[in-house]
Amino acid sequence: MTDPTEKALIEIRAGRDVGFFDLHSIDQVSLSDLDTIFDIARAFRAHQTYKFSFNKGCSMVNAFFEASTRTMSSFDLSAKQLSMDTSNVGSAASSTKKGESFLDTAETLDAYNLKVIVVRSKESGVPEMLSRHVNASIINAGDGWHEHPTQALLDALTILDHCGGKTLKGKTVAIVGDIMHSRVFGSLVRILKKLNATVRVAAPETFIPSGVENFGLTVHHKVEDALSGADVVYALRVQEERGAGGFIPSLREYSKMYGISKKRLDMAKKDVILMHPGPVRRDIDVHSALVSVDERSHILKQVENGMAVRKTLLWLMANRMDGKKKVMVRK
Amino acid sequence: MTSLLIKNGHVIDPANKIDGPADVLVIDGKIAKVAKAITDKADETIDAKGLVVTPGLIDLQVHVREPGREDKETIETASWAALAGGVTSIVAMPNTRPVADNQTVIEFVIKRARELDLVNVYPTGAITKGEAGHELAEINELKNAGAVAVTDDGVDVQDEGLLRRAFQYTKTCDILLMSHCEVNNLTDGGVMHEGWVSTQLGLPGTPAAAEDLAVQKNIMLANMSGARLHLLHNSTKGATDAIRAAKKAGAKNVTAEVSVQHFALSDEECIGYNTNAKMYPPLRSRDHIDAIIAGIKDDTFDAFTTDHAPHIEPEKLEPFIDAAFGSTGLETSFAVMNTYLVEAGHIPLSKGISKMTVEPAKIVRINKGTLSVGADADIAIFDTKAVWVVDAKKSLSKGKNCVFDGKKLTGRAVTTIVGGCVKYTKGQIVGR
Repeated sequence: MTDPTEKALIEIRAGRDVGFFDLHSIDQVSLSDLDTIFDIARAFRAHQTYKFSFNKGCSMVNAFFEASTRTMSSFDLSAKQLSMDTSNVGSAASSTKKGESFLDTAETLDAYNLKVIVVRSKESGVPEMLSRHVNASIINAGDGWHEHPTQALLDALTILDHCGGKTLKGKTVAIVGDIMHSRVFGSLVRILKKLNATVRVAAPETFIPSGVENFGLTVHHKVEDALSGADVVYALRVQEERGAGGFIPSLREYSKMYGISKKRLDMAKKDVILMHPGPVRRDIDVHSALVSVDERSHILKQVENGMAVRKTLLWLMANRMDGKKKVMVRK
Repeated sequence: MTSLLIKNGHVIDPANKIDGPADVLVIDGKIAKVAKAITDKADETIDAKGLVVTPGLIDLQVHVREPGREDKETIETASWAALAGGVTSIVAMPNTRPVADNQTVIEFVIKRARELDLVNVYPTGAITKGEAGHELAEINELKNAGAVAVTDDGVDVQDEGLLRRAFQYTKTCDILLMSHCEVNNLTDGGVMHEGWVSTQLGLPGTPAAAEDLAVQKNIMLANMSGARLHLLHNSTKGATDAIRAAKKAGAKNVTAEVSVQHFALSDEECIGYNTNAKMYPPLRSRDHIDAIIAGIKDDTFDAFTTDHAPHIEPEKLEPFIDAAFGSTGLETSFAVMNTYLVEAGHIPLSKGISKMTVEPAKIVRINKGTLSVGADADIAIFDTKAVWVVDAKKSLSKGKNCVFDGKKLTGRAVTTIVGGCVKYTKGQIVGR
């Protein structure tokens, strides 16, 4: 290997592998996995769009059974920047529309000898189910109301870079919005608790799923109680397309009660960062003036970190140093 | 004259308060004698040493799927599964295609079961036409054709005005109404018990209140006319409390059952998106299970059932939210009861047998579930110590969707006798 940029990355990876072969939940990711992922992601980030040869000869399919802009494009670009060949399967054109089951579609794709299949579905559990039936590594790019683990990884990287240190002990993250229908929340809360953060959620009771306090968080109905003194404010979108309709009387009232305004953000710590997984509904989730102009907003930093984290995962999952192979447990 | 002697067994016949060593003599398909050390000569003798001899089990809730969904199950395959579980009488649910809302379907089920001559099959009819919940079915015709009860099982009658009239009308016809208790506006697309597990899985939950409210509503409306009401597959603390209170207040017209999976397994079975654990009512959390077991101990619940619900494999290979509801259970119900209630120390075996024989017989008013002299010789012989691991792929049912697949259970049917004929023994259907 003569390329000095690649050499630098290989040195940072230092022969490390992650403990999982498929990624459907943050529950599968250990603290040492997080270290590995974040070390490498920071290096990839520094090299921006540099084309690495690491995954040459490896193929990947984006199987997005539900629409996506940023997740799909960032997976696709990440793969290409690692010299992978990629193809995208969209739900509108896919065979599932013709009555083919998810399983048959996945097994068909698997017959292409893919290294990775990135799956998004509107139904919870599809990536986990498919991972039991294919040889390729499945990466969950969002399943129903369940999880969106790569989003949580990029969020954690963003927060750790802001706070410094390897954990979030003593740091308070306030999550505001429709947590019931949010897979972003599902992964975020798991990674924040793994990193020892204090987690508060603020939402009307209709958006609070049963037993959510078992994650180890506090529930607040007044947004101000959650924001007060927070290190990170994380706003979620009101997910109308995932059934939020009917859970609140109107977006107008929601925005008045829970929308992140400048005045509300000022109640948090002085150096607070504002995050949002996108797409933002301006002036409903977050007041327009805060989205990209306010220096406290880290929304675009999240997107940049998304590229770095996804590139890292693709390298780690398609190219293991330990030579171990996924064992399929068809069930 | 043909005769059969079952020797050296431990007989449990709750109807006659027998729980001890005894022999059973069968002559011409009827029980002739139950006593110690019977010396009569018989054409066939079965040695039941170390085994438990009981009346054949009765299951009040079985989806036989025939007519219409013979790909899922037939009366024949459901009967095989029943025999393998020591079950000799099954009550067939009416959600077939077409729905059993007319006497033709009832007559078909009875005729088919008679031709097969495997287990006793008692059909039920629908409460409403097409189980659509809009108009009463011709309930008196259904009864005259042979239905032992009416039910819209699989769905609940949502319109309280119609449900009230259904009770008035079943009272008129003197037929039992079995209710599947669910308020649809509360279940609202839920696919499992609403709680910590559903939250972790990101699946829409069904609150216990959807069942609690429906149970209360059914009891209240049945009591307006005093109609006979049987509450199917109860699973919540609220349902248990409501039924206990109704019985305490003297409601002799109300009976209730528990499907065995609801006292055995919790909603944690759904983890990993295990679609075999998807059913209605859903497997509940531990606090509900504890309440259900308390209700079993104090006889709030009269009977145990399976809600045997076979499906074809693709229907369970769907994403959890889209997969079919239900689990098979005929082959495992005795073992589940024995493992999770008797072995676990909650109830004596005789009580469990009672709730699977004489008690369900009383509910649907059939002359079964007893070893009384002169009764039909429907008999099950169990090895209550046999430890086995359920392998759903080997099921005799067409449905391989058993929530107990892979679980280790204790207790298994060795021999099953219907009308004095051995129909199942040593893992084989006789004559198949």
